[in-house]
Amino acid sequence: MEQVVYRIRRFDGRKEFWQEYRFAHEANKTVLWGLLKIKETVDPSLAFVAACRSAVCGACAVRVNGEAMLACETPLDALLERFGATLVLEPLGNFPVIRDLVVDWEPKAARLAEAKPWLVPREEFSAEAGCRQSQAEFRRINAQTNCILCGACASECNKLTTGDDDFYEPFVYTKAGKFVADSRDGAAADHLRPVLARGLWKCVHCQECVTKCPKRVAPAEDIAALRRASIRLGLADNQGTRHARAFAGDITKTGRLNETTMAVKTDGLLKSATRLPFALRLLRRGKLNPFHFPAPVEGIDGVRAIVKAAKEAKE
Amino acid sequence: MRYAFFPGCVLDGAASEAREATVKVARALDIELVELPGWTCCGASHAQDVDELAALAVNARNLALAERLGLPLLTACSTCTLMLRKAKAALDGGLKDKVNKLLAAAGISYAGTATVTHLLWALVGDYGLDRLRARATRPLAGLKVAGYYGCHILRPPQVMDFEDHARPRSLAALIAALGAEPVELASARRCCGFHAVFPAERDAFKMTGAINADALAAGADCVVTPCPLCQMQLDMRQREGKAATGTAGDMPVLHLAQLVGLALGMTGGELGLGRHVTPADHLAAKVGGR
Amino acid sequence: MQTFDVLVIGSGGAGMRAALEAGARGGLAVGLMTKMFPTRSATGMAQGGINGFLGNADPTDSVAKHVFDTVKGSDYLGDQDAIAFFCGQAAAAIREIDYYGVPFSRDGDGRIAQRNFGGQSAPRTCFSADKTGHVILHTLYEQCLKHGVKMLTDRLLLDLAVDDDGLCGAVALDIRTGQVVPVRAKAVVIATGGAGRMYWSRTTNPFASTADGMAACFRAGIPLKDPEMVQFHPTGLAGTGILMSEASRAEGGYLYNNAGERFMARYAPEKMELATRDLVSQAIETEIREGRGFGTGLSAYVLLDLRHLGREKILERLPGIRDLAMTFERVDPVEAPIPIRPSCHYTMGGVDVTDFRTGGTALAGLFAAGEAACVSVHGANRLGGNSLADIMVFGKCAGAGAADYALGRDRKAGDGALAAKAAEWEERLAAAMARDDGPAVASIRDRLAEAMWNKVGIFRRGGEMKEAAAAIDGLTEEYARCAVGDDSRVFNTALVNYVELGNLLAMAKAAVLGALNRTESRGCHLREDYPARDDANFLKHTLVTLAGTRYELSYRPVVVTDYQPAERRY
Repeated sequence: MEQVVYRIRRFDGRKEFWQEYRFAHEANKTVLWGLLKIKETVDPSLAFVAACRSAVCGACAVRVNGEAMLACETPLDALLERFGATLVLEPLGNFPVIRDLVVDWEPKAARLAEAKPWLVPREEFSAEAGCRQSQAEFRRINAQTNCILCGACASECNKLTTGDDDFYEPFVYTKAGKFVADSRDGAAADHLRPVLARGLWKCVHCQECVTKCPKRVAPAEDIAALRRASIRLGLADNQGTRHARAFAGDITKTGRLNETTMAVKTDGLLKSATRLPFALRLLRRGKLNPFHFPAPVEGIDGVRAIVKAAKEAKE
Repeated sequence: MRYAFFPGCVLDGAASEAREATVKVARALDIELVELPGWTCCGASHAQDVDELAALAVNARNLALAERLGLPLLTACSTCTLMLRKAKAALDGGLKDKVNKLLAAAGISYAGTATVTHLLWALVGDYGLDRLRARATRPLAGLKVAGYYGCHILRPPQVMDFEDHARPRSLAALIAALGAEPVELASARRCCGFHAVFPAERDAFKMTGAINADALAAGADCVVTPCPLCQMQLDMRQREGKAATGTAGDMPVLHLAQLVGLALGMTGGELGLGRHVTPADHLAAKVGGR
Repeated sequence: MQTFDVLVIGSGGAGMRAALEAGARGGLAVGLMTKMFPTRSATGMAQGGINGFLGNADPTDSVAKHVFDTVKGSDYLGDQDAIAFFCGQAAAAIREIDYYGVPFSRDGDGRIAQRNFGGQSAPRTCFSADKTGHVILHTLYEQCLKHGVKMLTDRLLLDLAVDDDGLCGAVALDIRTGQVVPVRAKAVVIATGGAGRMYWSRTTNPFASTADGMAACFRAGIPLKDPEMVQFHPTGLAGTGILMSEASRAEGGYLYNNAGERFMARYAPEKMELATRDLVSQAIETEIREGRGFGTGLSAYVLLDLRHLGREKILERLPGIRDLAMTFERVDPVEAPIPIRPSCHYTMGGVDVTDFRTGGTALAGLFAAGEAACVSVHGANRLGGNSLADIMVFGKCAGAGAADYALGRDRKAGDGALAAKAAEWEERLAAAMARDDGPAVASIRDRLAEAMWNKVGIFRRGGEMKEAAAAIDGLTEEYARCAVGDDSRVFNTALVNYVELGNLLAMAKAAVLGALNRTESRGCHLREDYPARDDANFLKHTLVTLAGTRYELSYRPVVVTDYQPAERRY
């Protein structure tokens, strides 16, 4: 391969346009190297941001062929092999764009602040003496502390793409989750209430955030952990909790899901009655059998014993 | 070829046509499916929100049961595959001893030899598309099929590493091997909304509608998906999806096994095409069958 | 016009700590201005740890030992009163950020774990795996969110405005709109970081380390102190100069030459790989120069071997190092040694701070902290782990100092000077954007870096440095007629790079001047034509001051209290 093509979605503050740049291929370079090459030898007006060029500052996340990644650490050769000689570069999805590949973090920072992402130290600690924490407790928050606020997790988030009014960027949940999980923190509910009020149960489980995080953070797992913590704290009077409990309950009851009762367990009798036309649609096609009650699976006693042992192991 | 078959809950219920089609197709291809005795719900990524350790232990039990049979575990559901593979990764990543203490309550243990695959991967990887092509007694010439992956068959790639999550090829290759014409679907890797249809109904319907609209725009005769949950969402919720996105036009959505079955000469009745909410039974006639 | 009591410029550890402290006084309008988003700063790239006497790993450690290690590490150029103050405050600063939420690695008793570091007589470096700076930066950012610190992001400092009554505020480029904006402030804290990008092609620093604050202070008449003192980190990745933390040697890594020798035995038989950075860097370059490295020319290197630490320790203590080596050198340190070579890392010199208790400078109301400042506690060589401690201790001091000053100051005028500065910059930037021919910014920058690396690098000689000085003068002339290449007012990063290059050229000129006139070898400043330390003539700080367009040199004695200069052995 002699030439590399970056096809870049540009924006000048008013209008959007596409521009193709060609430059000579060199082995063992990064996506960022290509951007710098363009800026320094072809077109100084191409705007992007980058700082540390070692995958720790989060400035340079961009979308290449629809996938969010850090430009500084992503090997160009691997992408050329994956996507061919033309790479399509765009600003991160689900961010307002300022110019070219530069996105606006200010509204994101405001949303992050809503989740109270800061330590509320337990009473026994003080600024003068610091805190105590075991290494095991430290490990529980170690993964979340890897978040570099690059925004890659938000770029292809299916929920954000569909509507963000009632949902946060995945990193917001990770930051909140970090403090709920921190043994030094004494105010789990303070971190939980804001995320519970905005979207905690609305994640669609698409796994894009886990896939895109360049630092092996798993926001979807943090969302699940926050859900468990909210249930533990009794913040459970909501549809999401009822839905999840229906699954967990069926496992110990028969081992298998009872689809017939799912809607009622999740929404209650009254609201689920509004889904009656839908249910009739299914009944007509034989998709729903109201008389199908799964019998307990072979070995259900063992299943129950395992779940019981798991509960005891945690206590 | 022999597998321990993990049907999963929806193949036992609302998507029973997928189960029937899977079993028939496997039989026709001389793939032996031994249903895993005593299998339980994988948690579907929801039970995990209540009790992570219990959900892990329950799946460890499923894996241990497969080990007892000495067979690789095969599912026909993307979410089941992800949940089981995630459990295996967690166990193999250091939680095996801890969880085995819990499994002891049921007198079983997980050794680490279990493997988990999906019908799509088994057909493309283990069985082979050349063999499949040779068995296609009624190639689906002229049928335009949009392959829809959805999420859990691809992501996260650390757990689901069959192919490049960003540019999967298995469905298009399989569709072509069956003699049909693969149609590119822009939203092939987007989410159908199934898992959030209760708490985020409005969004879920928009997602559903967008995928159907894409398939219509691409001129597909039908969509095929390896996940029965995606199938249910795109089929049963199609009316709401269309309303949410302002789209008109029906788009039949097939289970993977149904499409394979058609190419193997099975009838629409045998494959349960008549049980879909969005009519799909005309497809059999379109390829020259019944 | 935006108006603040305290305007902090720079959002790394020092700036955020200062803003928090100034805000904590209550009743003051505090602004935090930065040219990027706050968490993109160089603090986040610090890996190894933060020093302070806690005695967790070694009960026999003491503040006095920390003081002596720092004094000796500085090659006696650090001011001992400031160092004693600094070391005395470090432990409290660490406990305080633990309370803020910094996730430290822990020992068996749940206390903050401490490890060995270069040039230290006890394990004193607190850490969070190998991402200590990153977690401190993010914790401070979280605290800024908590306290509602007013952030002005995407604002590039252009200049300070001063009139006959003193400091009026600052003039900045609003990068989003392309407008030059004056910002009124009673007190300003400069915390804009270092000047490592003078050595553009081989530095561990982010692209943003372009001496913006140092240059602005210099233009406002504040001297640059010890600008010739530039630290080269021994272990930058061979290909890119990206940092491999000192923690890699602190955890037990070895350095090998092409004969398979742990060559540090020749240079620091006692401390070996954990000698100070100046010595280890000089040793590596000597090995390469004498033919005991691998490869040749600019691509030469030696090896950093971690394999004997074992997979588990590498994954627990050095996971980030491993990722970087795999990504940028395609080497897994678990299985193979890492090719490394020194890389420009830290500017010990900077804005001349005259009151270490407040970060105050010669200009009333102007304070400085962090790498932008020279207090001086690092002297001619900074110890690893002392920079994060520096930004926590002195960031707090500067924030408090600025707040106290603002509380006592009643000033309403000054808009004339602000408007004049803004108009001057508006004209200059418009002209630069309008030029469509002239040398490119990147070309001047690259030639600056080449001159600095080849002639004002680890080994220095008078003759070569004179050539470098001449080259910088030539580049400065070219700069006056260079073309930006983008005339947009919206997020014009080419314009930002243009302003930054001007700052780098000013700083480089001062560095060379200081280096030429310091005819001795001390710490990182290794004069091959003057190989000995000369305490009789140079136990003093260089001060470079701008008089009109002339760079003037003067000196100030080092403060010596308890430790008379002695021979430095490791």
